[in-house]
Amino acid sequence: METVQLTLLGGLLALDGTSVGQFMMSRPLVAGALVGWVVGDPALGLSVGAILELYLLVSFPTGGSRFPEGATASVVAVASAAVSVAPGAVPLGIAVGLVWGQLGGFSITWLRHANSRLVPEPTRAPRRSGDVTSAHALALLMDFARGAAVTLSGLLVGRLVVGSFAAAWALAPGASAGLLLLGGTVSAGILLRDLGGFRRRHALLATGMALGILGARLL
Amino acid sequence: MSGTFTRGALASSFVRLFLIQGSWNYHTMLGCGFAFAMLPGLRSLHGADAEEMTESLGRHVELFNAHPYLAGAALGAVLELERTGADAETVRRFKLAVRGPLGSLGDALVWASWLPALSVLALTLYWAGLPGWLAVAAFLGIYNIGHVGLRLWCFRVGLAEGRDVGRRLARADLGRWTDRLKGVGALSVGALVGVLLARDGGFADAGVPWMALAIAAFLAGLRLGHRAWRPAAVVAVGAIVLLTAVGIVR
Repeated sequence: METVQLTLLGGLLALDGTSVGQFMMSRPLVAGALVGWVVGDPALGLSVGAILELYLLVSFPTGGSRFPEGATASVVAVASAAVSVAPGAVPLGIAVGLVWGQLGGFSITWLRHANSRLVPEPTRAPRRSGDVTSAHALALLMDFARGAAVTLSGLLVGRLVVGSFAAAWALAPGASAGLLLLGGTVSAGILLRDLGGFRRRHALLATGMALGILGARLL
Repeated sequence: MSGTFTRGALASSFVRLFLIQGSWNYHTMLGCGFAFAMLPGLRSLHGADAEEMTESLGRHVELFNAHPYLAGAALGAVLELERTGADAETVRRFKLAVRGPLGSLGDALVWASWLPALSVLALTLYWAGLPGWLAVAAFLGIYNIGHVGLRLWCFRVGLAEGRDVGRRLARADLGRWTDRLKGVGALSVGALVGVLLARDGGFADAGVPWMALAIAAFLAGLRLGHRAWRPAAVVAVGAIVLLTAVGIVR
């Protein structure tokens, strides 16, 4: 029953990614929290979602570019990590989530090619408004089905991987956190470059760092 | 022709704006979605005149693209052009002229500034110790006030200004807003790095070597830009697989 719920949630969150609304329910931090709630471990969902959000900070649905799909990555990562309490569950869940995020990105490209054959041909005007509506509705349905299929396949693989190998994890908890956050700090550097670069933003960066260190000590 | 739109038709077109990317494709991009959002307005305008409707729809399934949040400016303006009976060529040229600016303006304002600034802020608050649900609620609430507000403003400006919508958008000086938001984003990135370095359970707990690696990773991202993302993700996944394999062999 939980697998069905997660699959449907994956489909719905995938829709939010580009097709419906883009209210950012599909961002990993939000999606992770939702999945954590579904699997009965909100703290785990937030923690995994936050790490994936850090990785995918620079992944935005810009134009026709291909981007990793944060929504399905988050559902797969959190639901897989929740299978075991062994120390390797979170790292392995995140690894499977990152791989499935990439596969989700490829599936979006495939869907957009499929949509090209589905939409009304401009050189041949549609006879009825229903032609436009039905093509659009079918495309939305296909996106939901795509998101659900990517999620389901990720859940099956992720839960198997985590269930089988999580206990074999070789790092201490502190080092595990360091490793998981490390890849994400690359994204933070890329983002600073996108936001104007070090030369232009160094004063704001330094102020922010001071505030961050102070906040971490006080809160 | 100079008809009027019913309030319901305009509301319906606005709601459909939220689905405008539903059939995004490499052939006509937003074309079908744009026509889908136009439909209630066109029905209100053309009523039972099937010939007018068919002709008009044919114009709007053509290639079109824009940032989804700013597409409302084009939608409103094109509805206004249709209402005032602009000829097909004028509508076509207008759509061609606005699609580039609406795309680049929206990408810079929303995807490259508003969203990352708030994402980083939410992560910073979460890792600084704020309850997770509060960080998520703050992110969703603040982001979507801006998001829905921008969509609504663009649609209304488009309807009010028609073909002059570009001038109105230029007066709004969205570029200045983009720069300010990027400043907020840079401040938030600094705060995030500070929190990650100092908080319990972050790099401080992992030890000095991990802190040094984190600074090196941050600088690599800063230096290499987006080229660094995929290798970093591959290295992270590879390291996790390797450490699991080491554990299995042991």
